[in-house]
Amino acid sequence: MSLFKPTRRAFLKAGTAATALVGLAPAVLRQAAAQEADLSPYKSAKIDWQQTSGETITVAVIPASYFDNLIAIAPQFKTLTGIDVRFEKIPPAQIRQKSVIDLTSKTGIYATHAADPMYYSLYAANKWVEPLDSYVSNKSLTDADWFKFDDIIPAWRNADSIDGKLYGVPYDGEVTIQVYRKDLYDAKGLKPADDLTTFVSNAAALNTPNDRVWGTALRGVAGAGQNMYIYPSIFREFGGQWFKGGKLTVNGPEAEAALAWYVELMHKSAPTAAANWNWPDIADAFSQGTLASYIDAHSSASVVNNPEKSKVIGKVAYARWPKGPSGKRVTSIWNWGFPINAALPEKKKKATWLFIQWAASAETQARTAHRFAGPTKRSGVNRTSIWRDPDYVKLMNGFGHNFVEATMESLQSDTDVDWRPRVPQWPAIGDTMATAIQSALSGQATVKAALDDAQRRVEPMMRG
Amino acid sequence: MTAPGASAGEASGDLGRVLAQRERKFAMSLLAPAFLALLATTTFPLMFLIWTSTYRMDLAMPFADGFIGLENYRILLADERFWSSLLVSLIYTGSTVTLQVTLGLALALLVMDMKRGQGWFRLIAILPVVLSPAVVGMIWRTFMLAPEFGVVDYLAINAGLGSKNWLGDPLLAMISVIVIHTWQWTPFAFMVLLASLASLPEDIYEAARLDRATAWQRFRRITLPLLRPAIVMVVIMRTMVALTAFAAIFTVTAGGPGTATEILNLYAYRKSFTELSIGYGSALAVALLIVTIVISGLLFALRRAK
Repeated sequence: MSLFKPTRRAFLKAGTAATALVGLAPAVLRQAAAQEADLSPYKSAKIDWQQTSGETITVAVIPASYFDNLIAIAPQFKTLTGIDVRFEKIPPAQIRQKSVIDLTSKTGIYATHAADPMYYSLYAANKWVEPLDSYVSNKSLTDADWFKFDDIIPAWRNADSIDGKLYGVPYDGEVTIQVYRKDLYDAKGLKPADDLTTFVSNAAALNTPNDRVWGTALRGVAGAGQNMYIYPSIFREFGGQWFKGGKLTVNGPEAEAALAWYVELMHKSAPTAAANWNWPDIADAFSQGTLASYIDAHSSASVVNNPEKSKVIGKVAYARWPKGPSGKRVTSIWNWGFPINAALPEKKKKATWLFIQWAASAETQARTAHRFAGPTKRSGVNRTSIWRDPDYVKLMNGFGHNFVEATMESLQSDTDVDWRPRVPQWPAIGDTMATAIQSALSGQATVKAALDDAQRRVEPMMRG
Repeated sequence: MTAPGASAGEASGDLGRVLAQRERKFAMSLLAPAFLALLATTTFPLMFLIWTSTYRMDLAMPFADGFIGLENYRILLADERFWSSLLVSLIYTGSTVTLQVTLGLALALLVMDMKRGQGWFRLIAILPVVLSPAVVGMIWRTFMLAPEFGVVDYLAINAGLGSKNWLGDPLLAMISVIVIHTWQWTPFAFMVLLASLASLPEDIYEAARLDRATAWQRFRRITLPLLRPAIVMVVIMRTMVALTAFAAIFTVTAGGPGTATEILNLYAYRKSFTELSIGYGSALAVALLIVTIVISGLLFALRRAK
């Protein structure tokens, strides 16, 4: 027999009390934080922040620290505007599909979502999202002098525009750079590669699988956002052009040289397992000391500098992409931006714009980055001015030698809007290319056969 | 139900008919909600799928959308990747079902003769079946098959085979997904066959032993024919599931490397939801439906034969 016999009533009472405590505690805390937060930097904007007070909007984001920081200070937005924001976290692999389904069925579930810049063509062709220029220029909605739209990194603004029209406002972005082990490079007297040939020879020189150190790794797993995230840079560096005479071309001598370079590098100087790796796997391996270098997003620096997991802190340094045979360096123009769902009623669209303006403003960017109270700081702020802010630069340089310089120079000189083919058919093209790259890597097809097959599959996709 | 014989009058016959009719109506009204729900959740989507497959519906090119009749099917018949994914589906289904039935039967015969611990064995054997295929896929991909780090690779290295890229090589990847599916579902075949083995009459075996039949003869001439209905049932059920498998392959290889493990189901999914060609994707799904119906029909016919 048990000594304690809870009655139904006692159980219900205790349960209710516990629920109330658990449910209310964060709310109370958040309320307090919001009241304490100084809203005057926002109130200096000459717009009526309260104009759509009482609206509720749902925002889809991915589970990532840069969005967690935004969610953490979102109560300040509620106090400022009276707009309730519901955040929904959807993993990156599903957020595209979920938002496309929402947009195509015109249900207006997500007022805005963290959008893949490659999808704006598709969105614009279907008129699923609003052109944002009229919102930026509308004086009752945006204070141009306060918002300073031009301060947002130009490469990312261009990435979120189609035919000169803006469809999304960048919130957080990244560029791909070389990440390497300075200690290993120094021991062999190597310098970070300035061209792709040197990158291969550096990787080969440091590739000692018997000591469980491999030369390098690039994303190997198939996917429009995985291997097709790295390959376009190589393709462009080898002088490839997506549109030859107005026709989308994915094969040809430049493409073959680029893919062959990638396949050979992966076979000779990368761990076999890298064929199935995405960036977290690469960053994990690097932080365990098993990789001498990799090329991937600069934001992976926070993983290789995680004090709880990384064994290589203090040994990491950075450099821009090595130059290709064409003399070009090509980095990604990736950013998570916010568009406005065209299926929303007018008032909700305005409320959504206020949210976007708040999230993309220099003040919020700073409050979620170097001025954020929590442990994780953002490395992808959208403002040129913040990248020049000494406080931010100091924080970022903690990631290792040359981090800020490599990132800033890449952003200024190495970005290329035609990094990937920006057409509505991108989801299909990206997937087809991803499959082709993987077939070549796994030896299912030769480089030429894989690319020619991709070309055959891509052509009917482009026909109207 | 009608009144029996001439002893009952006309009136009672009428009454019986009325009652039967009422009962039918009552039964129908009880059935209606479930029937309607079933109609709305299965038949309607199926009709909608077939209807969609006669349209061009391309989210990337909304201006080109419209009714195109059987055009999607014409494209499908000329689509190399359709045929290769169908072939992958058939290889996958054929090999997993054969392996499951053979291994399941062997295990069942073995366990039948176990004097002690049969209960425990059954309990442990059933565990993979209750796991979600997606979870099984994740476990195999990260914990078992990862080169250098996975359990299987560790065993392979120690056995002197060297590290293999289990999911990165077209042939090994195909073998891997077949092994994973077999690992998860053999217990199902094992349980069903064990149950039918236990119900076989003992006296026939006794008679066979008196006639000095060897173990192999007993198995060939008695056990197999008596188990035939159970085996055919297992084959039919497993075939239908294997043809429409999705979650495990999706999480383990996502059809890769390249298209080496891309079953028809996965190709239809990719066309519809990654490439956003809803019309053509629907045509692929209908093709898969037809293949599944034809193969199941053949198997059912085989069951009735003899």
